[in-house]
Amino acid sequence: MNAAPPIEVRATHYFEAPPERVFDAWLVPRTLGQWMFGPRVREENVVRLDVDPRVGGSFSLKVERNGAIIDHVGEYLEIERPHRLVFTWAVKGESDDAPSQVRIDIAASSSGCVLTLVHTLEHHARRARRTLLIIHS
Amino acid sequence: MVEYDSPQLDSVFQALSDGTRRRMLRSLSAQPRSVGELAAPFQISLAAASKHIKVLERAGLVQRRIQGRTHLCQLRAEALAEAEQWLQYYQQFWSERLDALEIALRVETTGPAKRKSR
Repeated sequence: MNAAPPIEVRATHYFEAPPERVFDAWLVPRTLGQWMFGPRVREENVVRLDVDPRVGGSFSLKVERNGAIIDHVGEYLEIERPHRLVFTWAVKGESDDAPSQVRIDIAASSSGCVLTLVHTLEHHARRARRTLLIIHS
Repeated sequence: MVEYDSPQLDSVFQALSDGTRRRMLRSLSAQPRSVGELAAPFQISLAAASKHIKVLERAGLVQRRIQGRTHLCQLRAEALAEAEQWLQYYQQFWSERLDALEIALRVETTGPAKRKSR
């Protein structure tokens, strides 16, 4: 009764591409630099993108934003190409003592696939979401 | 992520991390209440209740005003809104990325220039 549901954000997106291509885009540094980070996405430069795409492997996605280096780090927890990818997510030196978790599910559809992303935020915000929902409802 | 790491927000989430304080806030969302009224549902002393209220005050979630001889506590919804904004930040972060991914995949499919160079 006491276990608070986690604080999470969700995003769903439809792609006109096979699940494999969408899945691989998460694990290939060159591709990551085209959509997740880099000048094409926002005002920042890619410093270095390292991924070790195996369960237990880690990644480090380093960008430079307004002169500050931000290193997004995490570890792959589940890799089931092309349907599921789970990894931890944190900013080095900021939240890596309590990383959040990102889960991605990709389901094939008639002309592409649907990706559902759930980001479970750790932070000490843990139980805040429920409170917010209760107070606002 | 960096943008929303304000100490104020930390104190909001810290205040929200306690069950007693969350219930106090819930009770305040209906109407302002005195310290005594806030303490009543719990088996805690007025002093303990007051301590919790101070944490809520410091986080900006509660405002206390003195009315005659009672201290009346009031919810400050703005502080909660900031916490919600923090969540929205992540929401936006991912939906923007997924939009960008869609574009990147399209470019890769239609762009003929990419393939041959190695």
